[in-house]
Amino acid sequence: MSRVNLDVNLAAVAGMVTVISVLGSILERTDLFAILNGAIAGLGVITAGPSIVGGKWAIVIGAVSMLICTVGLKILERAHIDDGLDASVAASGMFTHYHLDSRFFDELFRENGIPRAVCRSLSEALVRIHADELVRIQDSVHRHFVHEGITFTTLGKKEVSEQIIPIDCVPRILTAAEWAHIEAGIKQRLRAINLFLRDIYHEGHSLRDGVVPLDLVLGCPQYRVEMRGVRVPHDIYVAIGGTDVVRTDEGFMVLEDNMRVPSGVSYMLACRAAIKRVLPTLYREHRVHEVSSYPERLYSTLVSLSSAVGTPRVAVLTPGRYNSAYYEHAFLAGEMGVDLVEGRDLVVHNAAVYARTASGLRRIDVIYRRKDDDFTDPVIFREDSMLGAAGLFHAYRAGNVVMANAPGTGVADDKAVYAFIPDIIRYFLGEEPILANVDTHLCRTPDGLAFTLDNLQDLVVKEVGGSGGYGMLVGPQSTAPEREAYAARLRADPDNFISQPVLPLSRAACFVDGSLQPRHVDVRPFTLCGGSGQEVVPGGLCRVALQKGSLVVNSSQGGGCKDLWVLKA
Amino acid sequence: MLARVAANFYWMGRYLERTEHTARLLRYQLSGLVDAPADEIALGWRVVYRTLDQPAPSAPADADEAEVFLIADAYTLAGSLVEDYTNPDSMISCWGKARENAKQLRPQLPLQVWTCLNQGFLWLRDCEFPAAWRVAPAQLVSEGIDRLHLLAGVIHVIMPRDDAWQFLELGRFVERFQHQAALLDNWDRIGCLTDHKPRLSWADLLRVCSAYELYCRRHTMTVRRAEVLDFMIRDPEVPRSLRFAVHRIENLLQGIDPLGNRHPMAPPHRMALRLAALVEANVGGLVPVGAGGPERGQLEEGIFDQLAGDANTFHDLVISAYVDYPVAEGLPQ
Repeated sequence: MSRVNLDVNLAAVAGMVTVISVLGSILERTDLFAILNGAIAGLGVITAGPSIVGGKWAIVIGAVSMLICTVGLKILERAHIDDGLDASVAASGMFTHYHLDSRFFDELFRENGIPRAVCRSLSEALVRIHADELVRIQDSVHRHFVHEGITFTTLGKKEVSEQIIPIDCVPRILTAAEWAHIEAGIKQRLRAINLFLRDIYHEGHSLRDGVVPLDLVLGCPQYRVEMRGVRVPHDIYVAIGGTDVVRTDEGFMVLEDNMRVPSGVSYMLACRAAIKRVLPTLYREHRVHEVSSYPERLYSTLVSLSSAVGTPRVAVLTPGRYNSAYYEHAFLAGEMGVDLVEGRDLVVHNAAVYARTASGLRRIDVIYRRKDDDFTDPVIFREDSMLGAAGLFHAYRAGNVVMANAPGTGVADDKAVYAFIPDIIRYFLGEEPILANVDTHLCRTPDGLAFTLDNLQDLVVKEVGGSGGYGMLVGPQSTAPEREAYAARLRADPDNFISQPVLPLSRAACFVDGSLQPRHVDVRPFTLCGGSGQEVVPGGLCRVALQKGSLVVNSSQGGGCKDLWVLKA
Repeated sequence: MLARVAANFYWMGRYLERTEHTARLLRYQLSGLVDAPADEIALGWRVVYRTLDQPAPSAPADADEAEVFLIADAYTLAGSLVEDYTNPDSMISCWGKARENAKQLRPQLPLQVWTCLNQGFLWLRDCEFPAAWRVAPAQLVSEGIDRLHLLAGVIHVIMPRDDAWQFLELGRFVERFQHQAALLDNWDRIGCLTDHKPRLSWADLLRVCSAYELYCRRHTMTVRRAEVLDFMIRDPEVPRSLRFAVHRIENLLQGIDPLGNRHPMAPPHRMALRLAALVEANVGGLVPVGAGGPERGQLEEGIFDQLAGDANTFHDLVISAYVDYPVAEGLPQ
């Protein structure tokens, strides 16, 4: 018996020594977890016959079994396949306050607290790091944003204030395969949406065939009758799209389409720049897809929409410095090297658009429009608006200037139309949607209204034209009086509302109050559709609901953002 | 360059210069708190406020009253010029307006310039004036000036000499011209009345303008009114002299809009030439009074008012030529 014990222990020790002495270079680490894995490998293999081998062979078996185990581990790691035997890091070090909840998909850990293969080296780095170091990193990112003025503007009753969007320094990681799925789904969606928009402003086949109710589209406040019959370059209505994607246990789903003026891309770029600066080694180790060329790609997309002779002159049209996304407008104009114009800078003469420069008027060929249709041209849209340029739409109709996105794309933003996007994809592309929609109940139908009113406490109710998390009711977090008040609004104007189940958004690790804690996240990838095709930038604005338990990720509702790393295949 | 953007650069230059001007005057006043006579300090405040074209604090009845209210007055008057957002000439106000203009220039403004300007503003905004006052009030203002000089250096090193830079500098020198004219006028009329006590020192004026050392090299350490006025009006190498400013204005206009290109002898160019002529012609300068020689002489009556008026007109002409011009004039031929 003592011989058996000796052989078993010899095999375990041999496995451990092999890790320490030989395998450091293969494993690229020789920490406690790796050494314990060595012992387990030796023990596991020798158990079959400790009584029939001698001490020398026990050592050989221990060492060889560790070699095989290590090579296997490396293969699993490269393939991003989870290793069931790997040691857990949850509930250790910085993760002391990281409590997993089986209701929510966790981006970092599996249900048993073991890091997902793709997040393994990130979680190990986070275990090793000291809280003070993370505080320093977080502070450094924050100061960078303050000094460079990476802000969004909020309008109070009396004053305008600049705010820094809270940045979490722990990145979220997606594998190449996960990204490929999202990318394909978004491209499919954008293709269908552009075909749908062309159709509703021209022949209207989809409306005649009942794919989308006629009254829903024509009654949509974002439907622009002025766009009927207007030729849009390459039939691309949505040149720049933002699609809000969430993950639940059922996989990735589209929560919202932003097809008018999607914003947030500058925060994606600023966040990436900041994280690269403070976590350079970790970033390099992960082989992350780059996003910094977005402005260049955007410029190419805009230019591709113009038929002007020579190099088209591009401008970014902003409502002005009091707009909440003004930083983004200025940033994109600066990065593209084009003018950032306001309505008052533009003059329309003989159906052509000119910018007023210090040395006279200069023709503009392409306008990247960062304001809603209503504020584009007071002659056609809101006549009380001071932000537009009179005659701009006339020049657009005449084909003398390109506007991206085209006026009238807001129909595809409408939350009631959203419910029909899967049908739109099937109708126009003859394909099944790659990314699922969230179940949506239209309050404009009697059944939908009744269901919504009966289940208000369990649903999220939104205005069809709402955005930014404003005007919505989150049933489980509401009080009875709030629900009663909302029900009254629903009954008064049911067409204006939809309801959806409360989604169990996935959670990612965030550095909050001195420790790592899980918070709900979504992601908004940005898509560019130009004359030469579609492109989804491999990354996105990853929004975080920083308040514990909150499911609302909008920055206007206390949300922040974090960097999203899409790994190369 | 967009006309609005040109205007933003121009105003950014003006506000940065105005911030520095206020800070220079404040530094002089606050440094004097340590050892200058109370009635001289009170007189200094009157000159500072008049130079900024603001109502001057009333003069104390006598030296004793000046002594009693010395610190309380200084705290209020300095606080108003440092941290009061409602005072259009305060450092925070001017710096904030420069920053607001810069915010609209983000696509054109190099990141380093914006960051330096923004950091300076945030520093001043977060300064606790009462706490700084208890320790060393002049130091706060000195640091502000250092930060402005750092920004000027960053602009000098980073920005290309294109239209943006030309408009920025144009704004800076128009502002400088107006302020220097006002400073010389008030120092001479209020601060240094002959045969009147207290009086401000002409050497201090040179120190406010960072020109004392150069003056001593050109002349002697004996500072004389006539020579100071001549020096600060006509010397082409003193960065804060009127002549230096007006020559820079002429050069910058040439860069923005070369004569004969768009506006053959455009109104701004004509007015710049007139300003230059006015400065150079009058600097002969002092009309002798009695037998006292130039030291007791007077400047030509109303010369500074005339210079200030012409500078205002020049500003209007710049705006109407490059920013608010009629659309028909700007259409391509």
